[in-house]
Amino acid sequence: MGGPPAAEGARTRAARRTGAGFGRLLVAVYAFFALAAGVRAGWQLATRLEEAPVAYLLSALAAAIYLVAAIGLARGGPAARRVAAACCSVELAGVLGVGTASLIWADAFPRATVWSSYGIGYAFVPLVLPVLGLAWLRYTAK
Amino acid sequence: MVDGFATTIIVAGLVLAGFSGLMALLDRPPGLVQLVGLTVVEVILLVQAAIAIGRMFTGDRPEGMATFVGYLLTAVLLPPLAALLGIAERTRWGSAIIAAACLVIPVMVVRLQQVWG
Repeated sequence: MGGPPAAEGARTRAARRTGAGFGRLLVAVYAFFALAAGVRAGWQLATRLEEAPVAYLLSALAAAIYLVAAIGLARGGPAARRVAAACCSVELAGVLGVGTASLIWADAFPRATVWSSYGIGYAFVPLVLPVLGLAWLRYTAK
Repeated sequence: MVDGFATTIIVAGLVLAGFSGLMALLDRPPGLVQLVGLTVVEVILLVQAAIAIGRMFTGDRPEGMATFVGYLLTAVLLPPLAALLGIAERTRWGSAIIAAACLVIPVMVVRLQQVWG
């Protein structure tokens, strides 16, 4: 990643702010989750979709959201910020919704997803990540 | 999984994570030591992956094949990802990225061992 051309002006400054410093660590963690969930979901969907379609499709959806959030945070223009904020919000709703649902209706989730039990299988990082993402977007907007 | 390799990756990952975490605390960007460390970890991971794939083709398959392949692929891709982002981020956060990746690698290797069982 070289330096962006100076002509991009305000957009470049915004990009530097969401995608640099602590933001780059966020991008790294988002990219990791996109990779981990994506590889796993891709394999599962390709080989045994019928076993637990809801769980596997949810994992694939989560992977896609993580990827878009990572790209949004890394780019950091006005539109990218909105996309990243939307992804973080969907993620937060997803982890809270699926987390609660997986505890109440355990039978409906025979296979774990990244969001099952609020992301306990991933050290609760899926729960903390969207909160950090939204907080970072707010912080860098000032 | 080859236990000797697995232990080496776990120890190397933890040492590198500790060192990178210290560098992040000291406000230092990633240096040559961390990049060499990541390269060493990556080489051992690739050898480990080659052995595991070789054994899968000779019929010695782990119980949870999907999980195993997923973890293996992710583990192998982690050091290059950490190195790229670490080089791009010439601040303490670059060291923090490498520290985080190096904490995750041992976790993945332990999971690989459990899955292979």
